[in-house]
Amino acid sequence: MIPEDMEQLDPGLARERTKLAWARTSIAFAAVGAAILKKEPVAGLIVLAMTPLLWGLGRFVEHTAERPELQSRRLIAVTVTVVTVSVLAMVIAFVGHPPTSLRDLLPLHG
Amino acid sequence: MVASALTGYGQLVRNASQGVWVEERPAARDGHDDHDQGSSHAPTEPDARFTLANERTFLAWNRTALALVVAGLGIVQLLPPFPGVPWGRHVLGLPLIALGAAVSVISYGEWRRTQAALRRGAPLPRSLLPRVLAGTIAGIAALSAAVLLVSAAR
Repeated sequence: MIPEDMEQLDPGLARERTKLAWARTSIAFAAVGAAILKKEPVAGLIVLAMTPLLWGLGRFVEHTAERPELQSRRLIAVTVTVVTVSVLAMVIAFVGHPPTSLRDLLPLHG
Repeated sequence: MVASALTGYGQLVRNASQGVWVEERPAARDGHDDHDQGSSHAPTEPDARFTLANERTFLAWNRTALALVVAGLGIVQLLPPFPGVPWGRHVLGLPLIALGAAVSVISYGEWRRTQAALRRGAPLPRSLLPRVLAGTIAGIAALSAAVLLVSAAR
């Protein structure tokens, strides 16, 4: 049944806004991954691989009301991911060019 | 009733005896409320709207953190080297990247503290992050000026 007013289901559209915030955050990760991909394909792929994880976490916004203990774990996942990206970025910044070309890792050219 | 906030929907009212936020609508006070069946909050949990707003704040800080990391990486990787200052790009970029990690970790701590305060119905804790962010960015701006000056002097 569709209510007359969305406000009844989701006051202030808070839930909707929170889902959009998760979407923005995962898109930001995708953008960071794509930016790194250009120069450091391996690190870029690692960051890009985190994007669907965050996207998936955002889809649980509906259930936060019933499972408050899960919420803090979801948010820890975000912090851990950002810190991982930061550490990757520092490694890239220090080492310059680690074995970053995919061609070095995979025998793409036989 | 200790404090209240207008939401444009109903009025969020802090219930002094339980210390939780409940929503009071004019209809509810008259005893003719037919909306309220859907919004049953567990007594110990704060209003979902505040919890969700807290979560959005956390996510916004983490996007800020990502932007800092990207900015730092961009400086180190994409800028041409400063003439005469070979370490210049690292001096500017690495603090930005570290600040990104710090912002993310601090924002998680603040999310927790705010969540606990909401649950107790206590005043919200003051945020440390704006000061951390402003201080570090000002520091990096000063550092940039120093690197440019050294580079120009050589």
